[in-house]
Amino acid sequence: MSSIQWPFPSPGKFLGSLRANAVAGVGRWARRRQGTDPATTVLRPGRVYILPTGVGFVFAIMVFAMLLGSMNYNNNLSFVLTFILIGVGFVSMHQCQRNLVGLELTFAGTEPVFAGQTLRFGIAVTNRSKSTRYGIRLMHDDAQSEMHDLRPGESRVFVLPVPTEQRGWVSLDRFGVRTLFPFELFRAWAWLHMDISGLVYPHPAEHAPEPPPTTVAHGHRQHDARGEEDFAGLRKYQVGDSPRHVAWKAFARNGQLLSKQFAGADTSSQWFDFDDVVANDTEDRLSILTRWVVNADRKQEDYGLRIPGAEFEPAHGETQRRACLETLALFDKGSGA
Amino acid sequence: MARPRGTDGSLLASLPWTLGALALSIAPHLPYLPVWISAAFFGCALWRYIIERQRRMLPSAWFRALVALICFLGVLATYASISGVGPGSALLAIMASLKLLETRKRRDQFVLLFISVFLVMSALLREQWLWSLPYMIVSIIVIMTAWLRMSAAANETAKQSFRTGGRLLLYAAPLAIAMWIFFPRLATPFWAVPIDTSRATSGLSDTMSPGDISSLSLSSEVAFRVSFDGPVPAPRDRYWRGFILTQFNGRSWSGNKDAEVGRNATEQITARGEPVAYEVTMEATRQHYVFALDMPLEWSLPKTHMGRHQQLTRTLPIDQRVAYNAVSYPDYRVGTELSDLYRRWYSSLPDNTNPLTAELAQRMRADAGNDQAFINAVLNRFHEQEYFYTLEPPPLGNNPVDRFLFETRRGFCEHYASAFSVMMRNAGIPARIVLGYHGGEINPMGGHLIVRQSDAHAWTEVWLDGLGWRRVDPTAAVAPERIDYGASDAAFEGLAEAWGLSAPSQWLHRVSLAIDALDAKWNDFVLGYGPETQRRFMEWLGMDDPGWRKMMFTMLGLVLGLTIGVSLLLALRYRPPAKDPAAILYRRFIEKTGLEPGVGETAERFARRAIQARALSATTVESITAAYHDTRYGPGGEAAMTRLRLAVSAIA
Repeated sequence: MSSIQWPFPSPGKFLGSLRANAVAGVGRWARRRQGTDPATTVLRPGRVYILPTGVGFVFAIMVFAMLLGSMNYNNNLSFVLTFILIGVGFVSMHQCQRNLVGLELTFAGTEPVFAGQTLRFGIAVTNRSKSTRYGIRLMHDDAQSEMHDLRPGESRVFVLPVPTEQRGWVSLDRFGVRTLFPFELFRAWAWLHMDISGLVYPHPAEHAPEPPPTTVAHGHRQHDARGEEDFAGLRKYQVGDSPRHVAWKAFARNGQLLSKQFAGADTSSQWFDFDDVVANDTEDRLSILTRWVVNADRKQEDYGLRIPGAEFEPAHGETQRRACLETLALFDKGSGA
Repeated sequence: MARPRGTDGSLLASLPWTLGALALSIAPHLPYLPVWISAAFFGCALWRYIIERQRRMLPSAWFRALVALICFLGVLATYASISGVGPGSALLAIMASLKLLETRKRRDQFVLLFISVFLVMSALLREQWLWSLPYMIVSIIVIMTAWLRMSAAANETAKQSFRTGGRLLLYAAPLAIAMWIFFPRLATPFWAVPIDTSRATSGLSDTMSPGDISSLSLSSEVAFRVSFDGPVPAPRDRYWRGFILTQFNGRSWSGNKDAEVGRNATEQITARGEPVAYEVTMEATRQHYVFALDMPLEWSLPKTHMGRHQQLTRTLPIDQRVAYNAVSYPDYRVGTELSDLYRRWYSSLPDNTNPLTAELAQRMRADAGNDQAFINAVLNRFHEQEYFYTLEPPPLGNNPVDRFLFETRRGFCEHYASAFSVMMRNAGIPARIVLGYHGGEINPMGGHLIVRQSDAHAWTEVWLDGLGWRRVDPTAAVAPERIDYGASDAAFEGLAEAWGLSAPSQWLHRVSLAIDALDAKWNDFVLGYGPETQRRFMEWLGMDDPGWRKMMFTMLGLVLGLTIGVSLLLALRYRPPAKDPAAILYRRFIEKTGLEPGVGETAERFARRAIQARALSATTVESITAAYHDTRYGPGGEAAMTRLRLAVSAIA
């Protein structure tokens, strides 16, 4: 049963949308005012905003009540108490703002992730002053980083988690740095608009078809009947080496894991071709290709990738993986976001 | 959705500080709070700490609601009210106790800290001592530390929070002082203020029953302090007039308690001789009467009037320490005519009481011939016969005056004043009793006179036709030294003799006088800073015609200026380190080349590139590089700086 539809939005929803619009509007205004920030930005006083918090409002009401009480009782010591609290309020406003002014923020990079994972933007915050900065936190939309104190001269990387859905460049249009120090009476914050983004690889398909059959890359040498090649030597065991090639005798002798190497070995290289993938649309194809790349990389097999506009010769290793996944991530998207 | 009731121990960093802040702010209330509330608070605090320590469950909501209801009813039963400082503090203490039992998050502690701020304030409303200010400041620092602990990052130590709290308080202090001095003080409160009366203050009682109380307390508590503009009057002239007793029921004397306005009370006074001007700082009595040197004609205390019987009363009870100026004339006359109605009023006695006294008075009056001679005869009887002055007289029972005059013959001022007045009234002479203080001790360190509760005194005034009301002090006939030296010194000598420790107690007495002097100054300048003192201080500062507007604007200006000062101080605190001059000069060189140094490019490589790209003089560029290196890593000093400066300026 559906609930009754009122012709107007509920007050809660209305206020919520009002707030969202206001936040977005302030964000656009701040962006227009400040422009795009360089990758290393020092916070000037003019861009640190400050507003009282809920606790601050309650504190103000309490102090006002105390002032009335002191006036009524004409009690000089409670005047002292009231004025100390008012003074502390003023001081904490300035302390709160100064706690941010002069902080240096630098983009410290991201690690690419697969779509659906959380992209973690690293922002290095440096305190160049001779005093400790307390309770510093970074924020982005609804997410926020951990809170830390920064000792004089200390630099610390704060991590901003950004959820991802689609492949390609995800840019962090805006993030903030904020503090509630000292008494949570005020919230000081600054918006930063750095031209920074992180790469999101396509989501590796969960149910990918089998990759195309392995082909022999070095056609000039034939397999012999036993499927073995000429023994060429030993090298240190690496993760992914077949257990069949481990030199177990050598292991028994000196306890070191070594793999046998064969000249003209079959590196079981395979080609992943965009056009060979059977799928509904481009995104699915990319997703399946990503899965193949990930699996092949995990098995340390050589693989090549061929998609419209790019071709990678079969190889394996981190460079190959990065190049292939990057190409898949940015296929049909231009170079930047 | 039910919230989990267990704790995870995450409050251990801040909870002890919050508990400490609460305990500090509740401590000054302990003498006033019912024992069960204090016990409930400390019990809850301990319980909560153990819960946090051992990660137990918090009590259930049902249990808390039940306890809250019981406590609320308990306060109602104890105080029969929930407004005023007394029940207010009790409620705050209970709220704190109950809130402790449901405090789960760090943010919950805000409520606790707000409560402790209110507790600190209500303690100040209750009483203000010399140590109240330092105690308040300590409480505030602890509250601020607890506040900082609550929102501190995990790696911040308690010592850092404490130092930060202290530093912020230090920054706030000038602002607070400026506001305190310039915030305009009101002469009258907005609404009537209920003040806690759960602890009685010592003062004069408004009735007098000689013989009922068998000993007089010798409390050394201060009743009031007096600073004279001129010389201090001699001890025998220091009669501090207070409350007038006019009605006698055979056992006790009473007067009109309420403040009243006598239309012509002051007009009856004819002042003669030199006036004495002085300032009185009077402790709270919770009563209406105002003390002044006999006989006051001017006083500065608002809402204060001279009622019938020349009695000064304020329409509001004196709930707090007050200070006022007054002018008195030790030589005066009050009235020369008394209507028959008043004559009867001042001579009335209950029937069939103290018959022996009545008979004696009538016989003596007949023997004396006139009123003046009769008065002298009665005083002579006290002086010459076996009457003794003692602070511990025997109880008197029924017909106390008869028993006192003919049997016990021992008493203090009240006994003599009462007996004397009854004698006068029996002879048809109008008489009334004045309660007040006599004497006082001069504090050589403060220059002021201390009048203590032990200086309380009672004397009489009799009406003589053609002369008006005349003061007669029958105690002077019995114990002239009491009148010549005052009670304080006498009591002190007695104490010293009793202890047999004359020297150390003399020394102790001097210490107590020093504290008294400090206390008096503190009262004058800080606690007694009211509309009048403020106006005088503003004038002393040079403000013409100080009004609240001028003070307010001065205050706002000062607050603005000081806040900017704090802001600059903080800017200085957080300023980035100064760039070193060598780096600035080298930067200028880079700008002159118009090249951009690459990441990780050394000065030498950049120099080579600059020489090639811009066809610069190789020697100049090399000397720049060498000088720059010298300022950085070599023994360089000023010489290297000079070389660098010259070389950089050599490049076009």
